[in-house]
Amino acid sequence: MKTTSQCVTLRSLTALLCGALALAAPIAAQVRYEDLLDGPGENWLTYTGDYAAQRHSPLKQITRENAGSMVPQWTYHVEDARRLSTMPIVYDGLMYVTNSNEVHAIDVRSGRRVWLHRQEHVEMRRQSRGAAILGDKVFFATSDCHLVAIHRKTGALIWEREYAHPDQGYHCTVAPLPVKDRILAGVSGGDSGMRGFLAAFSAETGEELWRFWTIPGKGEPGADSWGEKTLAWGGAGTWMPGTFDPELNLIYWPTGNPWPDFYGGDRPGDNLYSDSLIALNPDNGELKWYFQFTPHDVWDWDAQEFPVLLDLPFKGRPRKLVVHANRNGFYYVLDRVSGEFLQATPFVDKLNWAEGIDAKGRPILIPGREPRPEGVEACPTVRGASNWMSPSYNPETGLLYVVTLEGCDIYTSSSKEPEPMVGFAGTGGERPPRDGNRFYLRALNPTTGERVWEYPMTGPTTMWAGTLSTAGGVVFFGDDDNHIVAVDARNGQHLWHYNVGQALFSSPITFSVDGKQYVTLTTQTDIFTFGLFEPVKPVPLVTEKHEPLAPSGSGSQ
Amino acid sequence: MRYLLLSLIVAVPLFAQHDGRRSQPAAGDSPAARYMHDPAAIGQGRTQFGNVCSGCHGPNGEGGRGPSLIDASNTRRASSAELFSWIQKGIPGTDMPPSPLPDESIWQLAAFVRNLSAPAFDQPLPGDAAAGREVFFGKAGCAKCHMIRGQGGLLGPDLSDAGASRKQVQLREAIVDPSKRISDGFTPVVVKLRNGKQIDGVARNFNNYSMQLMGTDGELHLLPKASIEGVVYRAESWMPAGYASRLTATDIDDLVAFLSRQVIREPAREDPDGPRRENEDN
Repeated sequence: MKTTSQCVTLRSLTALLCGALALAAPIAAQVRYEDLLDGPGENWLTYTGDYAAQRHSPLKQITRENAGSMVPQWTYHVEDARRLSTMPIVYDGLMYVTNSNEVHAIDVRSGRRVWLHRQEHVEMRRQSRGAAILGDKVFFATSDCHLVAIHRKTGALIWEREYAHPDQGYHCTVAPLPVKDRILAGVSGGDSGMRGFLAAFSAETGEELWRFWTIPGKGEPGADSWGEKTLAWGGAGTWMPGTFDPELNLIYWPTGNPWPDFYGGDRPGDNLYSDSLIALNPDNGELKWYFQFTPHDVWDWDAQEFPVLLDLPFKGRPRKLVVHANRNGFYYVLDRVSGEFLQATPFVDKLNWAEGIDAKGRPILIPGREPRPEGVEACPTVRGASNWMSPSYNPETGLLYVVTLEGCDIYTSSSKEPEPMVGFAGTGGERPPRDGNRFYLRALNPTTGERVWEYPMTGPTTMWAGTLSTAGGVVFFGDDDNHIVAVDARNGQHLWHYNVGQALFSSPITFSVDGKQYVTLTTQTDIFTFGLFEPVKPVPLVTEKHEPLAPSGSGSQ
Repeated sequence: MRYLLLSLIVAVPLFAQHDGRRSQPAAGDSPAARYMHDPAAIGQGRTQFGNVCSGCHGPNGEGGRGPSLIDASNTRRASSAELFSWIQKGIPGTDMPPSPLPDESIWQLAAFVRNLSAPAFDQPLPGDAAAGREVFFGKAGCAKCHMIRGQGGLLGPDLSDAGASRKQVQLREAIVDPSKRISDGFTPVVVKLRNGKQIDGVARNFNNYSMQLMGTDGELHLLPKASIEGVVYRAESWMPAGYASRLTATDIDDLVAFLSRQVIREPAREDPDGPRRENEDN
């Protein structure tokens, strides 16, 4: 490295420039892969908090005893937001939140903006589920599927790469997932025809390293599960982030519905790998195993709730499990080493499309529940028994917390010739009159699926918020009536609530800075952050001096 | 370190730059479509402008007795047909007179006036963009504080989208007179902390209770105001003044050309036949 003396030889560029050379030096503090392996603590680094997606924080300043003393700390308004779905990530005192085609960096102590990176001139505006962080880069996907890397301190562009195109039916909402030295990102568009895939990119350069198609190519294994008509447009999106087991070196990614959503006549067969969990090697994208929850789905039951990885005894034997509360109403327990189906139990009462799940993991269908042109009532709803509302797991209580919707819809179908990219879904589902649909927060025994307690919500059944578990013995969640709520993790007893006055599309996170624990929840247009009450100390006004501008032409050198 | 940095930059492939070539108008298009984005028409309009308009609107449209045509909201929002009409018929109630010029010359003038408020990417290049790149990373030392696609420093504004987010007149002004207008979120400050330390940098944000400061040390400082004893808000940018004399006129033209080519996405053009999009400040 050259030294100051060389700066002196460059005096023509002024001493000021020499001082600025330090800016190009490597910056020590940055997010390492090892930090991601450690999971949440002071920071919250990924969508799911940790690779196992347990969303359980070790922070315990806020407890079941004092949660009732929580108060708002700050609110950050996101201009022009219509439906914020972002999961904030927090590192080193900065919070990163996304809106369509933009990232905001917020000082977590004050709620003040530090910088805004906005991708101008992107015509498409879709919801964005959040950003990822690795090294000195923050990553996000634009609505039209450019993966973008920006500098975590300034928001300056580092690289951007188009990885899918709207002309082929794609849009993107996914929060990317960093794994080792790469960034994984998926695609949306499966409700109007596209071919789903998951891809890995070099975090350093943006180079695409591999791509796994969630619909096989013609002649490949699984292609015969589609027929000819919709193979190229069959959907199976990858719009939620997956999870990762570093010991097994496997990523677990959920996939979306087959297309057309509600009419299966043009896609005979199981429609692999739609509505599935796929286990891939992150180094090369090779498929290790898959498990399909809803073969030949005609109810739009994406498998998008992220899978939770648990190491627990199952029927007396220690197992590496992956568990999943599926939109189709069944709670699944799989062996995550092999993908072996172990068990499935209903986690809702309103479930009338299948009698159960057979020994191989295949649903035992109840005839007459497939959508028809005149409509048929089927349960759960199109929205599903759960969806992308985050579940969480507390290792101390041994309970899994799942937001659950009890409900039914009237499903209709159409055999109209499928036309991709025009919003055609083969029709859909509508709420029956006086439906009685209702959300519950349910605590499940993760190995049996038994319901241990539940907390019923009120509201219009239109929310998308999930849960957060903490070592303070508290479960935080967003409810169906615009509240953030804290309940006792052991029994679901109410501890605290706050009315944010807006619909919810994301789930709470927690972090700490300067020894204080915060809880943050994204609402429709704002970011709300809470903490325990502390009296505000008077802030003395700072001495300010505003230098006058020198006369034009006399600027310093 | 400096030489290493420069050599690394040279070794890195050229950034994804856009050549600025747009589709050309075709015979049979409307007059607006033929002229409004045609570089030749804009060039001829520039000559006409110098002959008949600059007396009131300034040599480069910056304003004088007449309003600026670079920033004036009514010219930015006007349709091409409105611009044509204003030039041909004048604007009643103002000093703007009608023009006896033939239609083709008026369309050329309208094209030039429209281009005055266009992003730099859509304006004719004043110099050699490749040479400007050498100036940027070489003798001007811009990359010490400015980043383009991951190359450069953290203190000044990112210039990866400079060609889409700024006009050429703004790029030029920022080079030769950096303190005249300082970008939002880059207020130059000297902060004295209560612990006796001093931090120089740019305030990305501040109010009575906190300051978010990017230091010249390359670190972000997220400061409660209670930790600050005093702040000097500098009138002058940290960016060195004197580029007008340090660089040649050709260097500056090349630099403006290089920055004009830096876009993340090509900015969408207005429909030359349609109304102008409403601006955010409506």
